Amino acid sequence: MTQAEIKLCSLLLQEHFGEIVEKIGVHLIRTGSQSLRVIAHDTGTSLDQVKKALCVLVQHNLVSYQVHKRGVVEYEAQCSRVLRMLRYPRYIYTTKTLYSDTGELIVEELLLNGKLTMSAVVKKVADRLTETMEDGKTMDYAEVSNTFVRLADTHFVQRCPSVPTTENSDPGPPPPAPTLVINEKDMYLVPKLSLIGKGKRRRSSDEDAAGEPKAKRPKYTTDNKEPIPDDGIYWQANLDRFHQHFRDQAIVSAVANRMDQTSSEIVRTMLRMSEITTSSSAPFTQPLSSNEIFRSLPVGYNISKQVLDQYLTLLADDPLEFVGKSGDSGGGMYVINLHKALASLATATLESVVQERFGSRCARIFRLVLQKKHIEQKQVEDFAMIPAKEAKDMLYKMLSENFMSLQEIPKTPDHAPSRTFYLYTVTILSAARMLLHRCYKSIANLIERRQFETKENKRLLEKSQRVEAIIASMQATGAEEAQLQEIEEMITAPERQQLETLKRNVNKLDASEIQVDETIFLLESYIECTMKRQ
Amino acid sequence: MAGNKGRGRAAYTFNIEAVGFSKGEKLPDVVLKPPPLFPDTDYKPVPLKTGEGEEYMLALKQELRETMKRMPYFIETPEERQDIERYSKRYMKVYKEEWIPAGPKPKKAKDAGKGTSLTNTADVLKKMEELEKRGDGEKSDEENEEKEGSKEKSKEGDDDDDDDAAEQEEYDEEEQEEENDYINSYFEDGDDFGADSDDNMDEATY
Repeated sequence: MTQAEIKLCSLLLQEHFGEIVEKIGVHLIRTGSQSLRVIAHDTGTSLDQVKKALCVLVQHNLVSYQVHKRGVVEYEAQCSRVLRMLRYPRYIYTTKTLYSDTGELIVEELLLNGKLTMSAVVKKVADRLTETMEDGKTMDYAEVSNTFVRLADTHFVQRCPSVPTTENSDPGPPPPAPTLVINEKDMYLVPKLSLIGKGKRRRSSDEDAAGEPKAKRPKYTTDNKEPIPDDGIYWQANLDRFHQHFRDQAIVSAVANRMDQTSSEIVRTMLRMSEITTSSSAPFTQPLSSNEIFRSLPVGYNISKQVLDQYLTLLADDPLEFVGKSGDSGGGMYVINLHKALASLATATLESVVQERFGSRCARIFRLVLQKKHIEQKQVEDFAMIPAKEAKDMLYKMLSENFMSLQEIPKTPDHAPSRTFYLYTVTILSAARMLLHRCYKSIANLIERRQFETKENKRLLEKSQRVEAIIASMQATGAEEAQLQEIEEMITAPERQQLETLKRNVNKLDASEIQVDETIFLLESYIECTMKRQ
Repeated sequence: MAGNKGRGRAAYTFNIEAVGFSKGEKLPDVVLKPPPLFPDTDYKPVPLKTGEGEEYMLALKQELRETMKRMPYFIETPEERQDIERYSKRYMKVYKEEWIPAGPKPKKAKDAGKGTSLTNTADVLKKMEELEKRGDGEKSDEENEEKEGSKEKSKEGDDDDDDDAAEQEEYDEEEQEEENDYINSYFEDGDDFGADSDDNMDEATY
């Protein structure tokens, strides 16, 4: 794991789970797989706290465990999974667009809690939805269950591996840690539950639990001691399926930008048809015949078969090669080249970065070198039609930032510099890796800056929160305008402006984080699929 | 010797034309320090994307951040003891549910991976009951405190089911201990208060 990734993981864990979990998590990421005692010894934390931290991490699928020989259990952290925490808002928003509020809340609960049983999810979501509804209306469990089943059918949620039900063949002591297994077929199988009930509105008296001693608290949570029917069957969000969806979205919007709306709809239809049949890491989708595509087009689109054929031919002939023709039967068999599409998207990202960082002339040189694969400095000046001095300067700038690399071709065995060809080249894989590393650094910087800004203005933020609380309580008990005015004036005008600036800055930093994460997704997908191919 | 073109003038070992400098041209300055930490950018960054989706995701992100802090998974660092206990602290405490992971008994997984530093709760409880029955408060004062300490530790771990019962038992233990303390240490029938200390005064104190 690179230093930048470790730093980013550390910031994310600290923000979401606190310092203790962060310490344990980062230690595991740095040192690989270790057992409980070694972790406690190396980090200097008490065994108890290490246990708690590991519980939290395992619950959220950030750490996995394995029983090694001699009965030692070792824990290993998944660095890439920690980095996914950046993408939670995008997952939740996507579910909202596909399955509306109910689906959104289901995925939110699953992401916040790591693993949950179906009945727990349904109950929580129903309660939350009931809160937002008007007085007197409640959310029925059945509706939430239906949405859950739909999510499972489209593979957006999946079952967690569970303890295998062993027949009592080995009478020996149970292993120190269970080895969890999951059957491929069962991964999306929803248990037959009859969840009957309605969401409960949380009574306002629960809010005033501040003064009660701690001993009384557990009584509130253990209201219903009924046995949970699906105990042991836990569900988690299937991040790979979301990634597949994002990738499809990116391809469709790329086609829409390059050509027009209709062609993007055609590509979307093709991708939708291959959702279940093609695995997410396949280089291209299953071949689809033109007739099938015609039948599966969305209902609103009435384009004739001929027009569809023309569009398909255009798409297949496009130099970007998103769509390829693999045969002629059934009116023409077409595939979508997923890997090529991802490579094009990554290349486009690189070009755009070069353009925004160094200018459009540099971008022209970059595209030229991409096209020619290997090119000498003299030829760059000629082909790009840029004066020699400037071209040289730009080439060196890009070289120093590692967007390009030099390939030496010696003419003589002694590699004398005067008798060697130096060719400029762009390897997309290494440039993508470099850019990805930079993205991790940027997000770490953004998070640090946001935390710094918040800390600087902590006193002011607390004051404004207190004032808001006072105003809210006064409004609830019915106060006159004059009194409310007085309370509001507790925050002076310059302070108000400071708060405004702070809010604007924090919003900007947050939005930047989300958008850098989009680039990270593209680059990571590209790198992953290229590595798989090799 | 013969190779020097002019005294003291360096000759390049390679063809300077290839790098792009013409002969005799002024070379750029030598760089003497690392590049600045925040270099000036010639081009300003592109503005952020705005739209309904982006705004919704922004609001979601900020909400999630706040929600995560309140969840039981957020483990707070234990604060150091402050010199003066503030009265208001009692009323500003944030209450969180104690989260105990479900599933097969976590005890087994933990026991294998660690040593036996934590005593089993059941054993401790049994021992305490035995000692109560014996009514022997003296020698087991220290033992009691030790066991209480370890009981507290194991209570905080996820093995114990009934926190309330343990709390009550502890409370009883404390009460009983105090009574035992009083009765057994100082005043035995008939003794003077200062009798013991007088005895020890025979020896010289240093």
